Amino acid sequence: MEQKYILSMKSITKSFPGVKALDEVNINVERGEIHFIVGENGAGKSTLMKVLSGIYPHGDYDGDIIFEGKIKRFHTIKDSVEDGIIIINQELALFPNLTVFENVFVGHEVANNGVIDWDKTKELAKKYLDMVGLDIDIYQLVSSLGVGKQQLIEIAKALSQNVKLLILDEPTAALNDNDSDNLLHLLVELKSQGITSIMISHKLKEVEAIADSLTILRDGKTIIRMDKKDVNEQVIIKNMVGREIENIFPKREPYKGGEVVLETVHLNAFDKELNRYIVSDSNIKLRKGEVVGIAGLMGAGRTELALSIFGNPKNYKVTGKVIVFNKSVVLDSPKAAIEHGIAYVSEDRKSDGLILEETISQNITIANLKKISRYGILDFFRQNMFAEQYVKDIDIKTPSILQQVKYLSGGNQQKVQVSKWLFSNPKILILDEPTRGIDVGAKYEIYTIINDLVEKGMSILIISSELPEILGMCDRIYVIAEGNQTAEFDIKDATPEKIMKSATV
Amino acid sequence: MEKNKETKFAKFCWRIYKYFLTIISMFRTNIRDYGMYIALAVIFVIFGSMTNWVFLGPINFTNLLNQTAYVSVLAVGMTLVIVTRQIDLSVGYIGAFLGAYVVVAVENQGQSVLIALGGALLITALVGIIKGYFIAKISVPSFVVTLAGMFIFKGLLMLKTNNRTIPTTNNLFQKIGIGYLPTYDVGGMDLITLIIGVALVLVLIFMGIKGRKKNEKLGITNEKIEIFITKLVFMFGVITYLSWTLSSHKGISYLLLITVVVVVIYHLMTTRTTLGRRIYAVGGNPDAAELSGINVEKIIVIVFISMGILALISGVMYVSRLQNTSPNQGPFWELYAIAAAFIGGASASGGIGKIVNAVIGSIVIMSLKNGMALAGINANIEPIILGSVLLLAVVFDIYTRNVRSIDLVGIHYAKKKYHDELVEAKAQFDLATKELKEAKKMNKEDLIEYEYKFTNAQGLYNKIKEKIRVAQEEDFI
Repeated sequence: MEQKYILSMKSITKSFPGVKALDEVNINVERGEIHFIVGENGAGKSTLMKVLSGIYPHGDYDGDIIFEGKIKRFHTIKDSVEDGIIIINQELALFPNLTVFENVFVGHEVANNGVIDWDKTKELAKKYLDMVGLDIDIYQLVSSLGVGKQQLIEIAKALSQNVKLLILDEPTAALNDNDSDNLLHLLVELKSQGITSIMISHKLKEVEAIADSLTILRDGKTIIRMDKKDVNEQVIIKNMVGREIENIFPKREPYKGGEVVLETVHLNAFDKELNRYIVSDSNIKLRKGEVVGIAGLMGAGRTELALSIFGNPKNYKVTGKVIVFNKSVVLDSPKAAIEHGIAYVSEDRKSDGLILEETISQNITIANLKKISRYGILDFFRQNMFAEQYVKDIDIKTPSILQQVKYLSGGNQQKVQVSKWLFSNPKILILDEPTRGIDVGAKYEIYTIINDLVEKGMSILIISSELPEILGMCDRIYVIAEGNQTAEFDIKDATPEKIMKSATV
Repeated sequence: MEKNKETKFAKFCWRIYKYFLTIISMFRTNIRDYGMYIALAVIFVIFGSMTNWVFLGPINFTNLLNQTAYVSVLAVGMTLVIVTRQIDLSVGYIGAFLGAYVVVAVENQGQSVLIALGGALLITALVGIIKGYFIAKISVPSFVVTLAGMFIFKGLLMLKTNNRTIPTTNNLFQKIGIGYLPTYDVGGMDLITLIIGVALVLVLIFMGIKGRKKNEKLGITNEKIEIFITKLVFMFGVITYLSWTLSSHKGISYLLLITVVVVVIYHLMTTRTTLGRRIYAVGGNPDAAELSGINVEKIIVIVFISMGILALISGVMYVSRLQNTSPNQGPFWELYAIAAAFIGGASASGGIGKIVNAVIGSIVIMSLKNGMALAGINANIEPIILGSVLLLAVVFDIYTRNVRSIDLVGIHYAKKKYHDELVEAKAQFDLATKELKEAKKMNKEDLIEYEYKFTNAQGLYNKIKEKIRVAQEEDFI
């Protein structure tokens, strides 16, 4: 019996400590179609794909995966790959110091009794690379190729594993227009060869171009499944956002103006590893009590700009001036930046923000140990007192300040990170993706904290990929594309369309 | 009347049962910290029983502690090196070289002991800075840098000793190596050691109660009173045993004193100072530490300097104890120290490792050596056992990494409260399992329906089990 749907995911529920990432999600994908999964950041798209591919093994979630008419219980990625479900993540899983043809067959080598048949490998690699339209020297190292070509190698690799269902997680996020178009054509081409695809994307243009159907997720729930004929941009946006912007952003007094507290003058940053400028000629101003947004696509150089200001911990070659409170200052380490009243809440709280094994009170106080010590001896009473105070003021939900932060939910971890930086008494706060991966309720609380701080006279720089957040929270917006500052808007003049246009110059 | 007595008795029994549940919960929750103490106790009992309790008697136990001294001091420094995600293979030969340097300076060059020690301190500090510079600034893996150091100092040791054993008769070395603190004999026991023991017990009780009061003031939950008292009683027992054993031999040796001083200083440094917090922060997450304004390179250099200074202390302890320096000293010291740190629960992925536990690790290692020799077991078996213990300790550590807190008293209450729910869910689950099995056997058309039913029942059953598992005593009072 030939089923209509190649894949059905029924009532998938997946919880993390404190957050329900997926709540009874249903997805149906027809055989031989290109199905889009659309939703805001944090809607649960990537989590859903991790459930599907066995990264979150069976038993970690509730609900059923039905693939080709059978219930599947994947325990590892290997299980799903064997059934022909292959996922290509945003971070590509290639080996940069291996050649192209080696990469295509890593993990499923062409071998007889464990001895690799290199001639056959090369022959097959060539065949699959042709199928994805990649005409390159197969002896090249993958590290020498651009992201667009690397992505095609991933797809060639998928084809070599007899893919039936190809999943691409925001494949075009890091690609230029040319490479993106190329990729979309390829997907249509593969469809004609009978390969079903699921594509996760924010880009509505792509949806309109190649989608046969789509599912919209919001806050971990399935909102709607639409067919090609019903697809139109407005309906998609309405279902994606699902709420008026006023509801998610707390109100704040309109900005009245003040002195400039932070200014960059012709700031450039050169990354020696990438061998290119990641920030070029940045000229931004931040005034007292102002919230300024830095908008742009992922990889546009927003975080790099923030790090160049915040003491340059990644050792870029930085030229140009940073002016803090009308004085040109040398910020050659995060320590120096902190001493000048700057704080930076990093975008990836787990890898650069928190010390997961340590407690809440230890994390909150680590950036300002002076305040809780005398002659280098810690005063635990003061440490715990301040920690208790932040837990109360910022409303961190935890049984105790002595809880290790690894056991907190994303939202509460983020609040610990914010507390840590408030404890360093900053006058300028840089927030890098302050609400990434946290649920709507916690987002609202973070926004409320931001408003409180601004009313007390702090100046805040927000870096965000979420346009609604930029539009809902900021007084002024800079847009950055490929390291260049391409536009500046007052909030009154800013629209999502204008920002997106400047971001994709 | 009869019934009343019975309930009273039942209540009494429940109280004892509850006490044991509480203690077991504590062990299971903190198994990572206590595992090693349990292991040590087991080792002590095994060797004790094999040697007719000579192993734990005054003479041998004092000897064991003196033997352990140099490894303990190295293990303390090594723990910090491992906490910052590094390794130091050079400290064995550096320690032996510095020991040789001091002995040669005193015996052959006629320097005073203090000047010789000052010179050695300067050398080791400089070496620490150089190691730290290559590791932190140039990013050469510490494995390579310190492996190079190991070869270099092996050569320097040979050169310094001219490949000969050089004995020392210096008074100060004799005192450090085989001397004991002054004693005041009362009926075959040293009163001073006993007084120190009593003082320690009083300090522990006082600090414990003070800590609890402070927590109460801050609204932090204290550990349950049963646990607190049990711990105190246990510590009392250990201290009593230690002071009895030591005082009925020769009292406290200088080696033991130096070790204790080093351990106390490092324990306080790691737990109570900003430097300690920074070291653990750098180990826990170097990127976050850097962004928090911590100078990561400086911290790593400091850790290697500290390691060097401890290598000096360790080397001087060793030559003093043997009353000579020889080109054969040095090998395996660093590996014992590394093993001790890992047995003590330090984590190679950084940020975790306690000073006191590294000392326990050292005692475990030296107990194996000492105990097997005493029990007359073939000496060649000792490294095999040591290797196995090391591996077991780390496996144990990894298995218990994500142990979550458990409260058996809470579970006891929860089991009663949710009993009916649990039984019902279990019945449903069993039914669904059975039906699915049959459906599969008969190859039914609507097999998928049975699959749904099964997953639902399983989910429900697991949810209730989880609810019981995380129950806390407080929730039921």
